[in-house]
Amino acid sequence: MQVIVCVDDDMGMLFNHRRQSRDRVLIQRILEIAKGKRIFMNTYSAELFEGNENICIDDDFLKNAGDGDICFVENVALSGYIEKIDKIIVYKWNRRYPADFYMDIPLIKNGWQLVENYDFKGYSHEKITEEVYER
Amino acid sequence: MNKVLSVAKTILAWVFVVFCLLMAIGCGSVSGSILFVLTAVLSIPLRIVRNLWDKVLGIKEIPDLPEDTPAKWYEVKKKKEQEAHNNAVEDQKKRRLFKPLIIAMAFIISFAVAMGNSETVSTADSVKESTEVASVEVAEAVQETVAPTATPKPTETPKPTATPTATPTATPEPTKTPEPTPEVVAKVSEEFSLSNVAAYSGKPYVEINQNVPYFAASELSTTSYEYYSDLDSLGRCGVCIASVGQDIMPTEKRGDIGSVKPTGWHTVKYAGVVDGNYLYNRCHLIGYQLTGENANNKNLITGTRYLNVEGMLPFENMVADYVKETGNHVMYRVTPVFDGNNLLASGVLMEAKSVEDNGSGILFNVFCYNVQPGVTIDYATGDSALDGSVSVKEQSTPKPEVTQAPVVATPEPQPEQQAPSATGSYAVNAKNGKIHIVGACPATGNGDSAMTDPVYFNSYEEAESYSISIAPNQSKRKCGNCYR
Repeated sequence: MQVIVCVDDDMGMLFNHRRQSRDRVLIQRILEIAKGKRIFMNTYSAELFEGNENICIDDDFLKNAGDGDICFVENVALSGYIEKIDKIIVYKWNRRYPADFYMDIPLIKNGWQLVENYDFKGYSHEKITEEVYER
Repeated sequence: MNKVLSVAKTILAWVFVVFCLLMAIGCGSVSGSILFVLTAVLSIPLRIVRNLWDKVLGIKEIPDLPEDTPAKWYEVKKKKEQEAHNNAVEDQKKRRLFKPLIIAMAFIISFAVAMGNSETVSTADSVKESTEVASVEVAEAVQETVAPTATPKPTETPKPTATPTATPTATPEPTKTPEPTPEVVAKVSEEFSLSNVAAYSGKPYVEINQNVPYFAASELSTTSYEYYSDLDSLGRCGVCIASVGQDIMPTEKRGDIGSVKPTGWHTVKYAGVVDGNYLYNRCHLIGYQLTGENANNKNLITGTRYLNVEGMLPFENMVADYVKETGNHVMYRVTPVFDGNNLLASGVLMEAKSVEDNGSGILFNVFCYNVQPGVTIDYATGDSALDGSVSVKEQSTPKPEVTQAPVVATPEPQPEQQAPSATGSYAVNAKNGKIHIVGACPATGNGDSAMTDPVYFNSYEEAESYSISIAPNQSKRKCGNCYR
């Protein structure tokens, strides 16, 4: 399974149960890299993809996702599903936000390797960095 | 002559009527508006209104004196009639005096009622009261209703507990100026008290009230506006509140704010201890990226680098992104919290709630500490000293004296933040916010690699501050060549 997450400079993801940031260009980028494949996510994340038919809303999506499925994760801890994950796409906002919920997979350790790195300009972000990690 | 006077009187009366009507529109208080309209109606120089006044004041038409006759017998009668006529005229004059008096009274009452919702309590008063119950005071612990044409009038005693809250009671007009906004009420929340805030323990902020801001539903506005409290008697900032929308966000680069010296201001360098060396920043209460306020002294406090960058900036970023992406509004209030008569704030209370989605996008209530790890601060004056708890980092910066200053507090006599100038030790590329050390890199030279639009500063602090303002998302602010 492939996992997509968005993080700030401190690998934060949420503050007070709310996403730290969003960017409409990033959403388009995610749809681009999905290449028409369905993207699994829970109800909370669905609002970002409103009107798009390629999303599959399931509040237990990480549990139910299979090999090769793409999962967009905002508010779920990943460490419990680490064995199922073979690719992590991290979008870095390159900004700092308050955080109380963090990306819980240490990418530097556990054999994850950075295989791709790509910067692009977002709608409200000067630079968003896409990093692709594989085992 | 009489005709000219009469016309002048009529014109004046109409001017007064128009003035009252304008006051009615602008005073922002329903009862005040009604009274102003009533005053205006009573002042209209039309026959129907005059007749009404005459009836009320008991003024009757005085019959003209009969024409003179040569008959002698008439002399006696004529005298009596003349006397009666004169008396009637005098009486009428007296009665007519009541009209302007009543109108003046009505105007004063209207004015007072219009200000009925306003309250400005001086800091001195707040301090007096707060010392009775608690030693904590929020500067500008006030409840103010500000109307553009009217003067606030106290209506409610502020609570002695330091509790900031601001309440827009009606939809205010969007404004880019720091002018008071109609119907904005900035008051001390009764639920917040500095004494209940946990002591700093290594995290730049602490959640207050489970992250739920103290806004009442009626305070949330889908119309952008901003309001900055007046300075208190000690010159300290008070509550700042805004309904942040795209229409009031800045479209230009931030200007110079060095002319403002907030209370407690010192220029002190702790090279190797404080990021950027300088302990204090001029901290925007409502960040520049949200409302575009530059050198507004009602919106700038003396805050540590840590408060500015680690405490407040992340929250401002979150709000700014949300507003830009959704086009929604965020109700945003920042209150500097001063302990007693201290000149330096202990911290700031930051509250925010997204309006259109009722807080599902943005919701927080946090207290950011005005502290700097490694430095002890006297909050009464702003004086500071190293406490030895943070080891001094070697400065990698090769050139400027700022970064190579000895690691001791070096207070300087009111050194202002430098305005951009044609020369300086640092140059910021206005295109991308990159900070260069002048002379250390071809970008600051005259060759092909030279920047086309550099902005110069004499201190790194100023350069960085400017860089953040023009390129908040720049992840590598320092030029790689200059800062190897």
